[in-house]
Amino acid sequence: MPAKNVTRRKFVADSGLLVSGLMAMGLPVWRDQFAPSDKIRLGLIGSGNRGCGLASLLKPMPGVELIACCDIQPTQTKNALQYAAKGAKAYTDYRQLLQDKNIDAVIIATPLFLHYQMAIDSLAAGKHIYMEKSVSYDIPQAVSLAKKVKESKLVFQVGYQYRYYSLYHKIREAIKQNWLGKITHFECQYNRNSNWRNPVSDPKLERVINWRMYREYCGGPLSELCAHEIDMVNYLLDGHPVKAVGLGGINYWKDGRDTFDHVRTVYEYPEGVKAGFTSVLSNAFNGYNIKIFGDKATIEIQREQAFIYAESTENKKGIVDGVTGATIEATTQGKAVEIPFKKPGEEDVEPTTFAMRDFFECIRQSREPISNVINAGESSIAIHLGNMAMDKETVQYWKPEYSIR
Amino acid sequence: MSRCFLILICCIAFFVLPAFNTARGKELLPFYVEGIAQGTTYHITYYAESERVSKSQVDSVFKSIDRSLSIYQPGSLINRFNESADGILMDQHLRNVVKKSMFIGRSTNGVFDITVLPLVQAWGFGVNRKVTPPDSVAIRSLLDCVGSAKLLIKGNYLEKRNACVKIDVNGIAQGYSVDVLAGFFETKNVRNYLVEVGGEIRVRGKKYPGASAMRIGIEAPAKTATDSQILQHVMEIPGGAVTTSGNYRKYHASDGKKITHLISPATGYPFTNELLSVTVWARDAITADGYDNALMGMGLKEAFAFLSKHRDIEAFFIYKDNSGMIRDTATAKFYQQIIK
Repeated sequence: MPAKNVTRRKFVADSGLLVSGLMAMGLPVWRDQFAPSDKIRLGLIGSGNRGCGLASLLKPMPGVELIACCDIQPTQTKNALQYAAKGAKAYTDYRQLLQDKNIDAVIIATPLFLHYQMAIDSLAAGKHIYMEKSVSYDIPQAVSLAKKVKESKLVFQVGYQYRYYSLYHKIREAIKQNWLGKITHFECQYNRNSNWRNPVSDPKLERVINWRMYREYCGGPLSELCAHEIDMVNYLLDGHPVKAVGLGGINYWKDGRDTFDHVRTVYEYPEGVKAGFTSVLSNAFNGYNIKIFGDKATIEIQREQAFIYAESTENKKGIVDGVTGATIEATTQGKAVEIPFKKPGEEDVEPTTFAMRDFFECIRQSREPISNVINAGESSIAIHLGNMAMDKETVQYWKPEYSIR
Repeated sequence: MSRCFLILICCIAFFVLPAFNTARGKELLPFYVEGIAQGTTYHITYYAESERVSKSQVDSVFKSIDRSLSIYQPGSLINRFNESADGILMDQHLRNVVKKSMFIGRSTNGVFDITVLPLVQAWGFGVNRKVTPPDSVAIRSLLDCVGSAKLLIKGNYLEKRNACVKIDVNGIAQGYSVDVLAGFFETKNVRNYLVEVGGEIRVRGKKYPGASAMRIGIEAPAKTATDSQILQHVMEIPGGAVTTSGNYRKYHASDGKKITHLISPATGYPFTNELLSVTVWARDAITADGYDNALMGMGLKEAFAFLSKHRDIEAFFIYKDNSGMIRDTATAKFYQQIIK
């Protein structure tokens, strides 16, 4: 029972965020130019599992140092500090962290509902931002944030690390080279067989720790799991969906959660291409999986591997009797052929490492990130369309006012 | 006993009677043989009164060629040559392909060279796909193993002058296979056919009913994920072979630069020029297939200069111009065959 007592307002108040009025943050101060020898000094906002994971990846990276960590739970901050520089500061209020003029950039790894305000405040404080996905709690926030980032001169990158992963670069190239022929459908799933909960030491912390269970804090499996796949389909098709339908429910984990434990959405992209996104929390077969259906072949993308399955070799008799072209490597229908994707000399590291390195390069070179507020914002809008479709049980359309390009 | 008899009657009814019908009418029917061979697909269409060639016959032709020419098949004749210290006795297939390759090598001043295998392997396009590009020292030392002058044909014996010499006939073997299959159909008295293996085509005669010319589509790299218009042009040819060499399918990237599978035997580095693909029309497929790779290596200007002196081959090019636009161009006679 106490677990349900914490309202969103209380959550915010507990975390010391609900301080009335804007804090006097002073004028934005940031270094326009980084000398190659200058270290980029970072602050971590949100030191939970993901925040600590990011901090641990940062530690061995040259040219950067983590000089402050923040979380409403001091035990989490303590965990993150082990990856920080000597003398790094601990905060419980992120706005105090933002006042630290030594900090050049922040990493935001907090629950989704906090993203927008933290991003806005960080921009106002002149900090470059690496924010975990997804971008916003609702569509107006995504639209507003895109505008504010564009007005700033700051680097704003979103943690869609697969945009930095050579596996997806290769798939995009394969599509461009017509390995699949005409593509009509994507089938994506992000399944697991678990209640998706973290252990709670004190019942009062239930909603703080297991925020993914509650709509007040996030969009459920679509915003927290399928988000990556939605972003990847947008990337592979170079665009965003135009409409969405969906059904969702809580029909397995009836444990007090109010986000769905089972979602099924279908999006339509330009030219009638459809993409299904499913998340089922009671079956882990093929957990993370994307299939791309073309009239020549199917590509199946797993976490760290991709396979191509040729369609049958039946000769399509049409306007021509034969086709000459660069030799297509073929196989029997249904037989998996692994697609090699690693670039020469590519390290075997988690894609997030590539994403973070590029974030630092963007800061040094004043360059727009690959996973920026536009494409990440569009992924967020798509997520909300799907959630709205499931809640209202009606088709949701991409409206002209969602245009953020 | 009576059941066997009944089955026999049925067989006669099904297979023999229709044959009589077509034989009487002399009507040519299309027959299709399709499958997978040499790591790619093949499609054969032929027109005859009745079935003349079966899929298993076609597959056995491929098998005999692969036993000789495939570097992907352990123990093949070509692999035994590559592993040998000084050479090997050739069979008919290897002899045909090596002789033709050396001829094309001489006429292209070595742009086409089957001894390029050690470099192809070093660049990660061999049987084992490595991903670390070779350094200049490694390339220099491999160049000692490359060059047709290090190969000698003495009767049926193929001799290497250096044990490290290795050959790769992949650039020409598919065209050769198309010719061998065409020859096989000729021996079966088939005079109207289209043989295609991995995009390399040989045509004779017309298609029926209607006795119209066969049409060949020239493929182009797709522009978008949902692009279904992948045929750049459609051509009609009275006969001969059409083959394409393109680097838009087989390449990998290094430092953002695309490395193609076509490696220069002179420099040891991949060819870099504006060409995305070359389609060649020639008398037979071994000729077309041998020259398409060489023209790819030459680049547009040199390729046209070469073609002006070799009037027996015609070519079509897809290339990127200075502004990055994809364009095409062709020899005049090739253009005459294009219908859309």
